[in-house]
Amino acid sequence: MLLTATRSEQDPAEGRIPGNKGIWAGILSEMTEFALLFGVYFIARAHFPEDFRAGPLQLSLFAGTLNTILMISGSYFVANAVIAMRQNRPEISLRWLILVLLAACGYFVTKYFEFRWNVDHGVTGRTGIFFTVYYYLTFTHMVHVLWGIIGLLWVMARTRTGAYSPQDHEGMEAFASYWHATDLVWLIIFPLLYLLH
Amino acid sequence: MTHKRLIDLLWLLLVALTLAGSYLGETTEPGLAITLIIALTVAIKGRIIVDHFMELKTANRMIRNLMRAYFYVLPLVIVLTTLFGDWLARLTTL
Repeated sequence: MLLTATRSEQDPAEGRIPGNKGIWAGILSEMTEFALLFGVYFIARAHFPEDFRAGPLQLSLFAGTLNTILMISGSYFVANAVIAMRQNRPEISLRWLILVLLAACGYFVTKYFEFRWNVDHGVTGRTGIFFTVYYYLTFTHMVHVLWGIIGLLWVMARTRTGAYSPQDHEGMEAFASYWHATDLVWLIIFPLLYLLH
Repeated sequence: MTHKRLIDLLWLLLVALTLAGSYLGETTEPGLAITLIIALTVAIKGRIIVDHFMELKTANRMIRNLMRAYFYVLPLVIVLTTLFGDWLARLTTL
């Protein structure tokens, strides 16, 4: 049995750019933006170690974990949508995209309850430096998820109207790459804010 | 193993790593060991997404290297700022 994935006719060619160059300019800008915000996190943590030691214990680890699973699953669902499109199964691809939308909605519902839970426990952006960084990072990430949802609705509409084919689904791949990048950013935010103390 | 089967398994691995990380975060005392585990987990998760979900493993070399580098540098910064926090604080004091 082979231990690595074998290549088939549907697999992407080597050396290619997934989606298009434009989306990668956007993704690398997004990663740079968050690199700066992570820099602020590390500097603030170095200056206020006690705040950053106590802060994560006041957050809902359950909400953070649930959102991480929703982001990872959204990434998995969109990867499946691309695979289905390559196999010329647009109906199946659309069903995977609906799951992506449900995961994204679940992320916002979890965030809503998490922020409400925070307020009930006396946690706001003015509670301390850790929470200022927490709200800044999570709100910025939420904005990127929101842009992703707008792109997702467009890709769903295009899939529904038969605009993509196994040979040409550049728009769907571009969206998938963006969604994976937003997932990647959350995979860093989660341990920084909820686990490291 | 097909690409589809591989990402099925990697999805389960990512979920398992997340649950294990949360369990460790909840039950263990803070220290260098747990910081190293968290940093390593970030590196592994990032590499899985970059290589297999984003399909960069066989894609354009520059994009692949930039995205992979992010998940070498950031876990390293997590560990270094834990070890040398005082030095960073002095360096960034106006």
